[in-house]
Amino acid sequence: MSGDGFEPRIVAFLCNWCSYAGADTAGVSRLELPPNILPVRVMCSGRVSAEMVLKALLSGADGVLVLGCHIGDCHYGSGNHRTVKRIPLLRRLMTYMGIEPDRLRLDWVSGAEAGHFAKITTEFVEAVRALGPLSLPLREDLDTG
Amino acid sequence: MMDAGRHPNIELLSYSAVVDVQGYVGNFQVRVKKKPRYIDLTKCTGCGECVKECPVEVDSEFEVGLTKRKAIYRPFAQAIPPAFVIDKRPSPCKSTCPAHIPVQGYIALIGQGKYDKALALIRETTAFVGTLGRVCHHPCELECKRKDVEAPLAICALKRFAYDVAAPTAPPPAPVERVYGEKVAIVGTGPAGLSAAYDLVRMGYGVTVYEALPVAGGMLAVGIPAYRLPKDVLQQEIDYIKALGVEIKLNTPIGRDGGPTLEDLRRDYDAVFLAVGAHRSRQLNVPGEDLPGVLHSTDFLRALNLGQEVKIGKRVAVIGGGNAAIDAARSALRLGSQVTIVYRRSRAEMPAIPAEVDAAEEEGIAFHFLATPVRILGENGRMTAMECIRMELGAPDESGRRRPVPVPSSEFTLEVDTVIVSIGQQPDLAPLAGVEATGWGTLTADPDTMATPVEGVFAGGDAVTGPASAVWAVAAGKRAAESIHRYLRGLDLRQGRVFEWPKAADIQVEIPAGIEKAARREMAALPMAERKSTFKEVELGFTEEEARAEAARCLSCAVCSECQECVKLCEAKAIDHNMREEFVDLEVGTIIVATGFADFDPTRLPQYSYGRSPNILTGMEFERLTSAGGPTGGEILTAEGKVPERVAIIHCVGSRDVNANRHCSRVCCMYALKHAHLVREMTGAEVYEFYMDMRTFGKGYEEFYERVQEDGVIFVRGRGTEVRVREDGKLVVRAEDTNLGRPVSATVDMVILGTGMEARPDADQVARLFGLGRTADGFFAEAHPKLRPVETNTEGVFLAGTCQGPRDVPDTVAHASAAAAQALALMSKGVVTISPTVSHVLTRFCTGCGKCVLACPYNAISLNGDGKAEVNAALCKGCGTCAAACPSDAIVPLHFTDDQLVAQIVGVLQ
Ligand SMILES: Cc1cc2nc3c(=O)[nH]c(=O)nc-3n(C[C@H](O)[C@H](O)[C@H](O)COP(=O)(O)OP(=O)(O)OC[C@H]3O[C@@H](n4cnc5c(N)ncnc54)[C@H](O)[C@@H]3O)c2cc1C
Ligand code: SF4
Ligand code: SF4
Ligand code: FES
Repeated sequence: MSGDGFEPRIVAFLCNWCSYAGADTAGVSRLELPPNILPVRVMCSGRVSAEMVLKALLSGADGVLVLGCHIGDCHYGSGNHRTVKRIPLLRRLMTYMGIEPDRLRLDWVSGAEAGHFAKITTEFVEAVRALGPLSLPLREDLDTG
Repeated sequence: MMDAGRHPNIELLSYSAVVDVQGYVGNFQVRVKKKPRYIDLTKCTGCGECVKECPVEVDSEFEVGLTKRKAIYRPFAQAIPPAFVIDKRPSPCKSTCPAHIPVQGYIALIGQGKYDKALALIRETTAFVGTLGRVCHHPCELECKRKDVEAPLAICALKRFAYDVAAPTAPPPAPVERVYGEKVAIVGTGPAGLSAAYDLVRMGYGVTVYEALPVAGGMLAVGIPAYRLPKDVLQQEIDYIKALGVEIKLNTPIGRDGGPTLEDLRRDYDAVFLAVGAHRSRQLNVPGEDLPGVLHSTDFLRALNLGQEVKIGKRVAVIGGGNAAIDAARSALRLGSQVTIVYRRSRAEMPAIPAEVDAAEEEGIAFHFLATPVRILGENGRMTAMECIRMELGAPDESGRRRPVPVPSSEFTLEVDTVIVSIGQQPDLAPLAGVEATGWGTLTADPDTMATPVEGVFAGGDAVTGPASAVWAVAAGKRAAESIHRYLRGLDLRQGRVFEWPKAADIQVEIPAGIEKAARREMAALPMAERKSTFKEVELGFTEEEARAEAARCLSCAVCSECQECVKLCEAKAIDHNMREEFVDLEVGTIIVATGFADFDPTRLPQYSYGRSPNILTGMEFERLTSAGGPTGGEILTAEGKVPERVAIIHCVGSRDVNANRHCSRVCCMYALKHAHLVREMTGAEVYEFYMDMRTFGKGYEEFYERVQEDGVIFVRGRGTEVRVREDGKLVVRAEDTNLGRPVSATVDMVILGTGMEARPDADQVARLFGLGRTADGFFAEAHPKLRPVETNTEGVFLAGTCQGPRDVPDTVAHASAAAAQALALMSKGVVTISPTVSHVLTRFCTGCGKCVLACPYNAISLNGDGKAEVNAALCKGCGTCAAACPSDAIVPLHFTDDQLVAQIVGVLQ
């Protein structure tokens, strides 16, 4: 599927303290990062509500990546405990909606894990590329706002 | 440092650790665990007298193992506070000993030839020194750490030695003065009853012990035969207890044969301790059991021990596998009979002490394992034989041992004329009306406090556990005494007591590298012929030499042996061995983390042969070597005490190395130059310095490098790759000279490894505690690498020194001063500016469901009087978790509102 020049667009929610810092470190380290990642900074991965994820998919994203601090390292202590419960639920909801759940992924990147950030993003872009563009017939009409 | 220690506004909490941090900038609640120092700081004058008699020596941490220190010590000469501290850890032996006798203490004292003190120390815990030293089943030896070297210490035999050499000449004790008016009645003079009596009388209570038999000592007196425990040893120890003021009433059974009843005791005494043991023998329940010639081991041994006449036949079978069975068998052998032991399980399952089983076998006793009697045969009312059946082991029963089941048609017959039954005993509770019994026929009592359901009545020993062992009975008696004291003083029976000691398996003990093996000593034994025909004691005890050599094997696991020698020397009365750890709660506005670094451990890079020659030193060790207070008084000498002729210094050990740490440790180049300079100046030795790059990063440092070059140090540019220890002890260093482009080597007398700095092994825990991030090198992360080098991402928490990254002393001082300034700036303002990213409730949409209250990690949200959510802006950190949880979009994190995020999402996708 990757032969047809399809470039997935991925919205990545990055928590301010770990994964955003990790992305920063990756940039400073001049690692090769996929341009398909469109970062949106949130203070904590716990801020990423169902609505945000769906809004991204409905607005044209082919995949959504949520990155937070490793469990135990959340700057706010337990913010990511919420995320860890929310994302699997959302993936089930997506299945109901006819969206491949693998278009949503949750992972952990610390401020130091520049290489890990590059690896996760590259892998996810490839996974979504394999799934192909997200086609939602009602995309234009649907609006959660 | 001294000034900081003396400053009125600085309170030093030394020997302490932060265990919990709550709150936020300006309002931190910090919980600190103060480890017990065992020395009262307000009293200790720092005179150092206490050190003199301390028998324990361990490697000094400060001198990186180059010298020794005592268990009581001052960490280093300039330590703040200057007071001493006792290094006390759990030891497997004392933890495992049911009576928690300070094993290592008396072993250390024996090792120093202080036998009287060893005896006195054991007597602080128990009066049964010579007795336990002979009959204890010594669970401590199973756990003794020395077993990891070659074999456990002969702990039990050492205890016996302390008694044998010191007790005969020890002065008899003076009666203890009564402190309390209350009197305690104890039933039974076994080890449980007399141990409780011993402790209670020493606390100052009146104690009377009632005994049914004409002798005191319980099973120690009427169970265990004299060839294991000579009567005079036991009697002497009972006399010792009596001399303290314990009254023993012999021939006075409670509740039978006209003796007082339990009710009488409860009325006449303030508390009662029941320690009646387990003396009622279980029946075999086989046909022929009523034939003459069938005896029970307890009756047989009691009669023997009381000097009564006992008649047994020529061919004796003993049924059972416990201590009583073995004792009955060995006693019968001594009376001239041929003896066979029949036991229904295998040897491994025998509850008897294994050494006793071995001794029985040596003496010529035959064993029939996996067999049990089915009937005893007789003719004309006389026993002729015993029919047995073979057993095999099936599934495990409730005791965890495999249950024996008969093998069909495997009967066989033993020709015997006497059968001694020894298949277990139960307490005789019939006379003790009013007490509660368990399903096993034992007394009901709390296993920790020994309290029975009857007010004021306690119970322990075999009567509660069923037949067990002497030391467990001692332990039960001690526990009961403490409980009775608490009961009589109206104190809680449990509060502050330790019932569960650390498990030996959980106690970490470092076995010193290169420890020499030393065989465990065994006691000499009586010649076999005498053993078989007399009741003389079989084991002969240690000679002084043997005892000293055996004691020298102790690893001093607990460091402090609790021998109490220091207490006697301290004039300021500052030492308190019973100190417990304490918790201090502090309210602070800011926190500075200055936890430092760890020195790289060069054993992780085996190519440097560190540990394989005493002349391969780390930079830190070389620092100590050259210090005036160090092991050589500051002289640079090899381990052989010679001035080195050639010395190699290797840079970057553990730094700039993909196999260790990638970072540059920054300080090593400069300290290595200092070392080179010192070696040149003090010894004139040739110095080879192997470096990758010379990083002279600070003011005056390049100038110093030039000077060292002028000193005549030979600089080789290239990593020292290997150190080999030659057979003659010389060290061969290999490297690649990158200037010449070829491998070089140097043969030297001493190698100094320029070991680097790395994050401490506990950095992860500390980071979690204070909410710190860590950089890839493991050090704590500053808020910004250039602009905010002392702040962290947790507001109000600052970093100082090498916990943030490698730096030398001037840089550390600068960093720490910066941290202090930042903390002061915050505190002098008295208010904190918080970031405006806090959540805000849109009251009209809020339904009061409370989801956000649960979601907030900071408890910043509560429901107000109107049932609406309300955010405390001072507590809110703006994570936004509440907004994601709110089903009605009623709570908005400012600057990260739904609208703002959606706009961003749409924006990035356009
Ligand atoms: C033959 C034999 C060998 C043993 N060998 C060992 C060994 O080598 N090592 C080891 O550690 N353990 C050994 N044990 C076990 C150990 O002796 C017991 O576990 C220990 O003595 C129990 O102590 P106790 O105080 O609970 O009871 P006991 O020692 O049994 O003492 C109870 C006392 O209470 C008295 N008494 C009972 N009822 C009344 C009453 N109504 N009124 C007044 N007095 C009463 C009894 O006469 C007795 O003197 C052995 C036991 C036996 C039988
Ligand atoms: S080595 Fe010494 S301190 Fe350690 S368990 Fe054995 S006896 Fe006790
Ligand atoms: S979650 Fe939302 S609706 Fe529920 S109480 Fe909080 S602000 Fe109100
Ligand atoms: S701050 Fe990173 S997941 Fe909470």
